[in-house]
Amino acid sequence: MGFGNIKSKDGQKQLNDFLADRSYIEGYVPSQGDVVVFEAMSGAPSADLCHALRWFNHISSYNKQERQSWPGVKQPLGNYGPKGGAAAPAGGDDDDDDDDDIDLFGSDDEADAAAEKLKEERLAAYAAKKSKKPALIAKSMIILDVKPWDDETDMSEVEKSVRSIQTDGLVWGTSKLVPLAYGIKKLQISCVVEDDKVGTDFLEESITAFEDYVQSVDVAAFNKL
Amino acid sequence: MAVGVEEEVKSLANFLGSPAYKVTTQGEIKVPQLHTGNGKTLTGLATISKFLARSSPSGGAKLLGTTPEDQAEIAQWLEYRVTIVDRSVEKKDAQAMLKELNSYLLDKVYFLGFHFSLADLIMYHGLHPVMCRLSFFEKQQYQNVSRWFDQVQHYPGVQQHLPQLVFLRNTLYTSSDH
Repeated sequence: MGFGNIKSKDGQKQLNDFLADRSYIEGYVPSQGDVVVFEAMSGAPSADLCHALRWFNHISSYNKQERQSWPGVKQPLGNYGPKGGAAAPAGGDDDDDDDDDIDLFGSDDEADAAAEKLKEERLAAYAAKKSKKPALIAKSMIILDVKPWDDETDMSEVEKSVRSIQTDGLVWGTSKLVPLAYGIKKLQISCVVEDDKVGTDFLEESITAFEDYVQSVDVAAFNKL
Repeated sequence: MAVGVEEEVKSLANFLGSPAYKVTTQGEIKVPQLHTGNGKTLTGLATISKFLARSSPSGGAKLLGTTPEDQAEIAQWLEYRVTIVDRSVEKKDAQAMLKELNSYLLDKVYFLGFHFSLADLIMYHGLHPVMCRLSFFEKQQYQNVSRWFDQVQHYPGVQQHLPQLVFLRNTLYTSSDH
């Protein structure tokens, strides 16, 4: 917020920092902003503040008439300088209200207030919309590999057993038999689960419970939907 | 000499409001030549730029300095441009040069101090390819050069055909060389 107290060492240090990569207070030509800050200073900054000193000398190389012809409108001192810096000390003419940053779009205070209002309205509308929308249910698609004990296991029985597992939030999908070796086939079956209600642990436990048929269960794929 | 020296002379002429002279380059190191139209040929960037400024119909003569001191300094920077800037092709040469310029520009807005001059114009064109190659970090290291460069490229009419360079200030990098 501005340079704080420009007459203090601290304020001048901020000015120095600010001018390190700038030649003028605003933009690339001398303006009334330079005049405001220049006139607020009680004298040249000390030599160790080289950027502030360079600027000061530059501005003082112009005479008063030249300075008056520079473009821009004088604003309070607090409106110039870095944005969002340390709060300016109280007193003086530090008018550290809303927009002391560089106004890229050249809008004035009223436009800003309007924009602010619009933004608030939109935020409110968005919040309302969001609250009405039902919470999204997280679902996952799981593909399970169910392996039988040997080649004599009846795979249709295996599938029937697996599909007999019914619970809230679990939907069985397609299945197929994939040959492994020595005539043994495994059952690959997909299902869609609601994450909150059904976990892979539950599925594995329930399926391995058919221990007459099932040797092991693996999760072959797990996709969030 | 940098490529595009013909372009540079043309944009100088354009900036100074001079008529469209014929510009060619000579030799392997591309020394620019300007054909003034009355049978005379000027050779060398410093010569050409001085001629263009002096004969400028739009008051470019004041870019040559009004006091003898200024004029001498401008002559020195023209020489610097041709002898140092254009020959700093190697990275370490360029770095040494930037370091030197950085300390020179510490207390100056333009090369002559507070007034825009031919020296800025010539140095801007000379340093453009050098600055192009710098990273943001390096640009911040040579903060005074960067500030000057940014200032000059925003001077009305200077930029012409050259792309504008972007200077960002990143508080992550602390500038060590004040």
